[in-house]
Amino acid sequence: AAAAAGGGEKEAMQLMAEADKKVKSSGSFLGGMFGGNHKVEDACEMYARAANMFKMAKNWSAAGSAFCQAARLHMQMQNKLDSATSFVDAGNAYKKADPQEAINCLNAAIDIYTDMGRFTIAAKHHMTIAEIYESELVDIEKAIAHYEQAADYYKGEESNSSANKCLLKVGSYSAQLEQYPKAIEIFEQVATSTMDNPLLKYNAKEYFWKAALCHFIVDELNAKLAIEKYEGMFPAFSDSRECKLLKKLLEAHEEQNNEAFTEAVKEFDSISRLDQWQTTMLLRIKKTIQGDAGDLK
Amino acid sequence: MSSDFEAYEQDFGTLTAEITNKIGRIPKLAGEEKTQLVLNVDKQLEEVRELLEQMDLEIREIPIQSRGMYNSRLKSYKQEMEKLEKDFKRSRIAYSDEVRNELLGDDGSSSESQRAHLLDNTERLERSSRRLEAGYQIAVETEQVGQEILSNLHSDREKIQRSRDRLRETDANLGKSSRILTGMLRRIIQNRILVFILGAILFLTIVLAIYFNLRGH
Repeated sequence: AAAAAGGGEKEAMQLMAEADKKVKSSGSFLGGMFGGNHKVEDACEMYARAANMFKMAKNWSAAGSAFCQAARLHMQMQNKLDSATSFVDAGNAYKKADPQEAINCLNAAIDIYTDMGRFTIAAKHHMTIAEIYESELVDIEKAIAHYEQAADYYKGEESNSSANKCLLKVGSYSAQLEQYPKAIEIFEQVATSTMDNPLLKYNAKEYFWKAALCHFIVDELNAKLAIEKYEGMFPAFSDSRECKLLKKLLEAHEEQNNEAFTEAVKEFDSISRLDQWQTTMLLRIKKTIQGDAGDLK
Repeated sequence: MSSDFEAYEQDFGTLTAEITNKIGRIPKLAGEEKTQLVLNVDKQLEEVRELLEQMDLEIREIPIQSRGMYNSRLKSYKQEMEKLEKDFKRSRIAYSDEVRNELLGDDGSSSESQRAHLLDNTERLERSSRRLEAGYQIAVETEQVGQEILSNLHSDREKIQRSRDRLRETDANLGKSSRILTGMLRRIIQNRILVFILGAILFLTIVLAIYFNLRGH
């Protein structure tokens, strides 16, 4: 299989060279006269085949560059759709080798799609880019920007659940980066929009809980007012275990009682584990208690 | 005289002791042994009655002055015998503690069993509360899984609705394009007919021209 793959690569490189020649020849005047378009189309197809062979040989960066070439040729021939698909293929190939290049290709594809008015698919690719920033390049701010863009496009296309998905990610990351007002606004927005929907209302309490946590970090009084407001808007919230935990935490915070705080959190955790984000937020709240106690000393 | 009476008293004493013993044992036994013992006790009670009668006869032979003491003794013996008879009757239908124990398993002395009972109960309570907690945890997990599923369903719903709309649009577009194609076909046929007609007219004109030329000569 390795030999075949190696052979495949050689073949692929041959195809690339041929395609390059074709493109160059079509550039000259005579070539342009005698069905230059034909040649460019053939070259496109050859680039695509070469790229697939590179993929088989797992040479992702070569495959990516071949797809990029094909995409540029398609643009020349004004085949916008084909060009965009080729850019997406290039992005997928580069994802495994060179994340930055992948992002460039995907951005090019997004530009074409938004130009054509296909916002849904552009939003999907924004999400892909954001995921790359999340995982491989670890640039949270850029990831947030892309998720926000994706959410806006989804909202424009009335895909509210996908929009909410992106918004939630924006919210969590903003809170992690300590941009609390933004996070609070997002969580409240998502919570109010889902609380009426019969399918999604069971999720609403989770979003209220997250918003209240962010309020809490900023200021305890805010948290109290917020919780009252949420209970008024959404009565089922008061029955949830999260709300009870919040009230206990508020009490513990008022009394500056570190043990009661830890106790309450431990009790909640024993029934359903707290995830990474929630643990980080709770830790920050706990630090404010300890910080206050330190000031008193 | 009185020595006979005393001999009778002694016999009475031994017999009543035996009878009491046997009466005590009757409820514990069953079946063959029981009937035997019962007959035994019956016989002994008969003997006791005969003894009492003989004691009575003896007393009659005693001069009246000294009868008083013996009379009272005899009376107490008679009462004792009646009591024995009553006990005997009761014992034949009595439920004994021992039988119950044998049926339900041997519990040792009562305070020990109580303590074991209490420990057992506490352990059972602890086990049940542990199971309840586990059940609660599973219920909460189930709720979370349910939440996720519901939100997935919602997003799938939107996707399906969008696909359906796009499909309808595509259908309309296909209809339009098919109409355009038929229009094109029609126009092509029209053009071809026109070309043939024009060709025919041209041909006719040329033929006429040649004909008139030749005619003119």
